[in-house]
Amino acid sequence: MKRRWEVTALLSWGFSALTAAVFLGMLALFAVESLPVWRQAGLGFLTGTSWFFRARQFGVLPMVYGTAAVSAVALLGAAPLGIGAAIFTAEMLPRRWRLAAKTAVELLAGVPSVVYGLLGVLLLRDAVLRLLARWEPLSGDTLLTGGLLLAVMVLPTIMSLADDALTGVPAPQRLAARSLGLTRAESIFKVALPQALPGLASAVLLGLGRALGETIAVFLVIGRQDNQWPEHLLSLRPLAGAGQTLTSKLGGSETFLAFGDRLHWAAITGVALVLYGGIALVSLIGARLSPLGGRRA
Amino acid sequence: MLDALRIPEARPRSSAAPVLAVRGLSVTAGGRRQVLRDIDLDIAPGSVLCIIGPSGAGKTTLLRCLNRLVDLVPDLTVSGDVRFHGAPIYARGVDVDALRARIGMIFQQPAVFPGSIADNVLFGVRHTGRLPRRALPERLERALREAALWSEVAHRLDERAASLSVGQQQRLCLARALAGEPEVLLLDEPTSALDPQSTEAIEELILRLRERHAVVLVTHNLGQAERLADSVACLTVRSDGAGELEPR
Amino acid sequence: MRRWTDRAVWLACALCAAVVAALLAGIAGALLWRGLPVLGLGFLIHPSSEAGAAGGVRDEIAGTLLLIATALAVAVPLATGIALVQAEYLRNPRARRRLLVALYTANALPSILFGIAGMIVFSRFFGWGKSWLAGGVLLGLMILPTLSVALIERLRSLPPRYREAAAALGLSRAQTIWSVLLPQSLGGLLSGALLGLARAAGETAPILFAAAVFSGAGFPAGFRDSPVAALPYHIFVLAQDSFDPAVQAHLWGAACVLVGLVLGLSLLALPTRLRAHEEAWHA
Repeated sequence: MKRRWEVTALLSWGFSALTAAVFLGMLALFAVESLPVWRQAGLGFLTGTSWFFRARQFGVLPMVYGTAAVSAVALLGAAPLGIGAAIFTAEMLPRRWRLAAKTAVELLAGVPSVVYGLLGVLLLRDAVLRLLARWEPLSGDTLLTGGLLLAVMVLPTIMSLADDALTGVPAPQRLAARSLGLTRAESIFKVALPQALPGLASAVLLGLGRALGETIAVFLVIGRQDNQWPEHLLSLRPLAGAGQTLTSKLGGSETFLAFGDRLHWAAITGVALVLYGGIALVSLIGARLSPLGGRRA
Repeated sequence: MLDALRIPEARPRSSAAPVLAVRGLSVTAGGRRQVLRDIDLDIAPGSVLCIIGPSGAGKTTLLRCLNRLVDLVPDLTVSGDVRFHGAPIYARGVDVDALRARIGMIFQQPAVFPGSIADNVLFGVRHTGRLPRRALPERLERALREAALWSEVAHRLDERAASLSVGQQQRLCLARALAGEPEVLLLDEPTSALDPQSTEAIEELILRLRERHAVVLVTHNLGQAERLADSVACLTVRSDGAGELEPR
Repeated sequence: MRRWTDRAVWLACALCAAVVAALLAGIAGALLWRGLPVLGLGFLIHPSSEAGAAGGVRDEIAGTLLLIATALAVAVPLATGIALVQAEYLRNPRARRRLLVALYTANALPSILFGIAGMIVFSRFFGWGKSWLAGGVLLGLMILPTLSVALIERLRSLPPRYREAAAALGLSRAQTIWSVLLPQSLGGLLSGALLGLARAAGETAPILFAAAVFSGAGFPAGFRDSPVAALPYHIFVLAQDSFDPAVQAHLWGAACVLVGLVLGLSLLALPTRLRAHEEAWHA
């Protein structure tokens, strides 16, 4: 006799509901825990440019700027490089070499962020200090350092996904273009690339998501200087100075410090809330663009 | 197989000057497996040459040797001589892209590019031809007329090419190849993916195309060969898997 | 002219690929050159001492292994349930797609958020202080999307004849799942698990607040107030104060061990994933 509800089905739906509850609960948790700071500062929390916790002043804009700045540097470096390299592996490399390259790149993507952070601290920091000597930075811990490190971290992700997108364009398309007398470069840019565009866009967006959320590596090389709000938003000068991102704030000792204080803790969880919302938004936009078939996140 | 068809076989003839002449063409895969052995062919202007034979005999490979599309397949080595208007195409320094622009190719599955019907037809010409802008619309119409597609699409040239039926897409690919005014047309089983009506339409088309181009048609359909061919080359598979011309 | 453009494009793309290759070689090279001298059996079996300037990483390795084992135990049942819902139980294709999008979004969440949430839930609500179990659960939740997606892809790629044959024999849904579908999908689950474990082994942020300590962690007894040492946390703390050359040497060694562990787990997943790549390319 068959039971009306199979145990397997019950368990599966139950586990799924549990997981959904956990992830949504996390969002709700941050929202609830951060209520005091919303009550105190309202939207000023999002638009304020100073963060002095002892004076009970909380504004996240400089951190948003820091996050945006390092992510912009990261993408400006990693997107062209990653897509160019992907064109090479997808269109110009013989098949066996391509698989080897893909494996190597995916292994690179698996290197833990703390190791990248270590490399940043021990190698990149001094290099940037020498590079920026003209602008007399206080140390090698700058927004630029963070951006460069992120570029290296995000590069394998973008390259691997861009390669997937390009190989997804069926071979007969390229063959037909070549048979008309188009050169290899022309067939890539006029036939393959346009059709791979959604996948390429989603590759870059995924890279962006990873850059936005990276904590540990950025924490170690960014200087963790609050209130770095630039006078001119598009100037490059602030990149030569230390800064703070949403993630580096959360990963620091201030989080421990804030744990006992209601308002301070609300501010910290407010930062977490902003981070959660921002990443979810970028991710949802990316999902719209990607066909989501055979994609490994 | 050839006995069943009442068509002269395509052995080298000394009379007509062939557009494409093949002598001793052999293709090996991975250095070991022989795909084609010692093929001799002449392709005369204004005629249809049908290449027939069982699956795996190397018909597609042979076709792709004629416009050097075989270069794009890894691991294949080509030896022998193929001459286009008397000039060898496998010599050093040959401009392969220019060669391919003068030889048109149609594949089994129509490979329609994203974009409008007009974009597709003019795709090759825009890159390879030195046509001034104003000459493009005339070339577009001429190609579509020659491919017997003009009356069906003249009023919607800006629509997406993907909205055409499969039979129309195949004729679109034909128009795209014709836009470059090629001297030779290579057709690789162009009707095997089509329904009977579209097949009939394309077969009629091929008979008309013969007037202005040399046509090489690969088909596994003997009836089609009988209907269309001026001459026939039959590939058979030897014991080692290599394709050879069936001697008379 | 077109010939030159073609060559230039090739050159530009080859250059990009060369940069990537150089980065890979550079990172591998730096790790091996600086870290290998420190590595040795002693490094692996001795506890760390002198605040990281000497000794090995024994406790950290043990702690990391404990954490990822726990993460696996948490993630596998949950991921299986989610995958079954997405691939088998949900009828509506839009709901299926929404679930997949949700999984990808969850996968993109920064791991630090798990750390903060863990601090609230485990340290405050449950009153566990710092606990290895909390760390394991948080890591398990973090890698849950990776496992789910891997299993879903495998389940969806199974040819319909398996389900049809089972149904024709009169098997119930549950029987089909346990006797036919899951056994056939084991490869996908395995490779997803290995990749998830590789990621979990290297993560610092989730265990930062609720699970890890730098020193003083013996073998945990129970789960309240029983923190662990962990390789990534160890490196993280030491990296912030890294001017002592002895500490630096120790850091390179620890990084080598961590990368070795992560690489080893990823490489184990390789054969299954390469086969999937091949199948996709030929399809």
